[in-house]
Amino acid sequence: MKSGDPGLASVRLMLEADLLGMIRGAGWDVDAAKDAFADLALRAFRFQCDAIPSYGAYARHVGRDPAAVRDWREIPPVPASAFKSHDLSAAPLDDQAVIFETSGTTISRPGRVRLRSTHLYEASLRRGFPRHVLPDGARLHAVVFGPTRAEAPRSSLWFMVDHLVEEFCAGGSWIVERGEPRWERADEALARAVRDKGPVLLLGTTLLFQAYLARCDREGLRYRLPPGSRAMDTGGAKGTRVEVRRDEIVAALTRVLGIPSTHLVNEYGMAELGSQFYEDGLLAAHEERPARAGFAIPPWVRTRVLDPETMHELPDGEPGLLVHHDLANLEIPLAIQTEDVGACEQDRLLLEGRLPEAEVRGCSLPFEQFLERERVGKAGKGER
Amino acid sequence: MTQGLFDAFYLPPDLEREAETSVQRFGPAHDAIELRLATVTPAVIESWIASLGNARAERLARRPAAEIHRALERVAQRFLDPEGPARRNAVAWLARSGRFSIPMIERALDDTFGPLAAGGVSRWVASEIGSAAALDWPTPDRKGIPRQAFGPEWMLQIYAGNVPGLPVWPLYSALAMKSAVLAKTSSQEPLLAPLLARTIAEEDPDLGACIAVAWWKGGTDELDRAAIRLAPAVLAFGGDNAIASIAREAHPEAKVVLHGSKVSVAYIAGDSLKRRALADIAARAAHDVALYDQQGCLSPHAFYVERGGDVSPAAFASALGGALEALRDGLPRREPELEEAARIQLYRAQAQFEEAGEVRGTRVLASSEGTDWTLIYEDGARFEPTPAYRTVRVHAVGGVNEVAAAIAPAVGAIEAIGLEARGREKAVLAAEFAAMGVPRISALGALQQPALSGTHGGVHRLLPFLKWSTVELRTRTRPPAKTRRRSTKKRK
Repeated sequence: MKSGDPGLASVRLMLEADLLGMIRGAGWDVDAAKDAFADLALRAFRFQCDAIPSYGAYARHVGRDPAAVRDWREIPPVPASAFKSHDLSAAPLDDQAVIFETSGTTISRPGRVRLRSTHLYEASLRRGFPRHVLPDGARLHAVVFGPTRAEAPRSSLWFMVDHLVEEFCAGGSWIVERGEPRWERADEALARAVRDKGPVLLLGTTLLFQAYLARCDREGLRYRLPPGSRAMDTGGAKGTRVEVRRDEIVAALTRVLGIPSTHLVNEYGMAELGSQFYEDGLLAAHEERPARAGFAIPPWVRTRVLDPETMHELPDGEPGLLVHHDLANLEIPLAIQTEDVGACEQDRLLLEGRLPEAEVRGCSLPFEQFLERERVGKAGKGER
Repeated sequence: MTQGLFDAFYLPPDLEREAETSVQRFGPAHDAIELRLATVTPAVIESWIASLGNARAERLARRPAAEIHRALERVAQRFLDPEGPARRNAVAWLARSGRFSIPMIERALDDTFGPLAAGGVSRWVASEIGSAAALDWPTPDRKGIPRQAFGPEWMLQIYAGNVPGLPVWPLYSALAMKSAVLAKTSSQEPLLAPLLARTIAEEDPDLGACIAVAWWKGGTDELDRAAIRLAPAVLAFGGDNAIASIAREAHPEAKVVLHGSKVSVAYIAGDSLKRRALADIAARAAHDVALYDQQGCLSPHAFYVERGGDVSPAAFASALGGALEALRDGLPRREPELEEAARIQLYRAQAQFEEAGEVRGTRVLASSEGTDWTLIYEDGARFEPTPAYRTVRVHAVGGVNEVAAAIAPAVGAIEAIGLEARGREKAVLAAEFAAMGVPRISALGALQQPALSGTHGGVHRLLPFLKWSTVELRTRTRPPAKTRRRSTKKRK
């Protein structure tokens, strides 16, 4: 493996240090970080072409020789599906800290994201999460609608949640055990919060939140969680055909748990990205200003919106396919081509749902159906 | 012609008078059309079913089948007549709904109604049950045993919207066997079924009295259940979840035929790949791909091409690419939705990634601009459906055994195989594919024109729904009085 090369190893360490500096120090004003972003992205791209041979070959194949690329926009994104067909990691096989599996997008095998170091991932999380979910600095008990990391060792989502609980919360309760939701545990944790007047932080997938709220509705269970309680959900907009209407989730959360609509934060992320994107509602409420639409794009990330016919970049506000350039990706390519669709308005990402009007089309549409068969087994497991 | 409201339902006059309706916008926001929809509740469905049953008893059950078939053939002719209002209306509205280009719609109407006109319905019925008279009275079969076929009192039909002509043969099949029909259209294509029903009613009000066509939101349990649990026969097209739920809800004695999601593939024998034949084979292959933007279950997603012919599989791939490029204008594709185009780009990028790594000799050919067509060539057989909209794989293979091994795990997902071979090998290969369980083997270039007398999804179109009475009395049966009187007129 080329990445065992001592020269590359030292390049990686230096880059990691510089990237950590950028992520930790970046202000939330995107323009201010413009030059630093461009410079670091190009350095990381060149390293990645050397350290990940299949990526280097791809870059050259599509006419983006690392020596010739001068603009970060020319960094060729890898298709997210390539994590399924190729090992796209700079981490040596015998020295990896974590392996995340992706449910990814296209081909049936799960993809793999191998990392030797999670420092950049953690640094990104440490900047994004508290700002958008704990802007008041609260330290809350976490109720996790999902499994522990030990039970789902290959899930980037539950790795993240484990990390969040450890670093930002006053302990946690996990609801899913051996793949099964144990709703009574949520009942206990929420009843305790009400009794002790201790606000809680709910973390989990939109689908599990929805399932729990529906169960509470069926059984007539209601909680008045203490003020300051909040929830962060992930997924829902993509990856499942169970259409989750945002306003219904928000209404149910208020009705069943007494959490106001400002205190539900949706997070968008994927195993192939070290960074996450958060909604603005809670931060806006804290700063006593109207919330801005969509997800905040962190200053160390650029999202390009391309016309899927021409692959040319679209002007602000026009929807197209999304390519993310994420400086928290060092050991895997920083530029990722997704099949997600959305628009950007300055530093906001407006995701569009997947074919919201479409019903099952039947007879053909094999591709979606094949994907669907894959996904059925994965709902709620938090793979992404 | 396409201004204003479209009545996206059809009900016989009595029912239409009572129906409540609402108007909904359909299609892309900037260019939506307004559809008038019948309001459907479980009680409404039950009343329609009762009314259809009565109409069938009074106006359909005792009619000579041949007369019904002739009426249906006249209707087919109306949809084929380029100047006729039925055809022009259908083209205009289907074009307005934006799902397919006008040349594609014209093609769909020709391919769908052509085989049903000019004696087509009679030939189809005869191919399945011997003679139309067997629907009227006990008629001797080939061994001389008189038998009579009875269609169900009514059928529930649930359509998919992926190809434009899909509702036509199902609706015809019900009436051809003297069954009333309640049809639920697809939200993707809610237009053709009501247009067809209205034209049938104009041509023959007795037939029109036995049809109801409506749309309601799929997965609306109480509505689906109201219809499904009462239906003596169900013919449905849909995705896995929809099909599974219909199977669960159907009455245990109901005759149920469900068509889930499938794709097709093609096989080209080395011996048939002659240099002078290449352009023709590629043109026929491209036609099969391009038709209905590859949305149908008969659309090929992979071409398995034998090595060792005059022309290499890679050269075939280039020729197919050229033929697909030619169809960009010849048979234009509808612009895919953002999400669909994004998926094609991701699929292309993935193939380019493999091409860069020199994996399995992968090569990517694609339209000079846009996502109009994408062709991925690789060594070795495998089966993987593509994101469609003219995205195909060409696999160089050593022979049929390699293909058999590759498609075996997914053979249940394969509807048809387009076969190009010469001489005796053609029959040998066809037998091999039949033995694998592929329901239909057709000539390349004719994948999208299935014979009505053949099967769909491996089952016939009429036979699964018929009940038979056989008369084993060694006596001559005679037509009942009403029909006999008509037939005696012609006797000399």
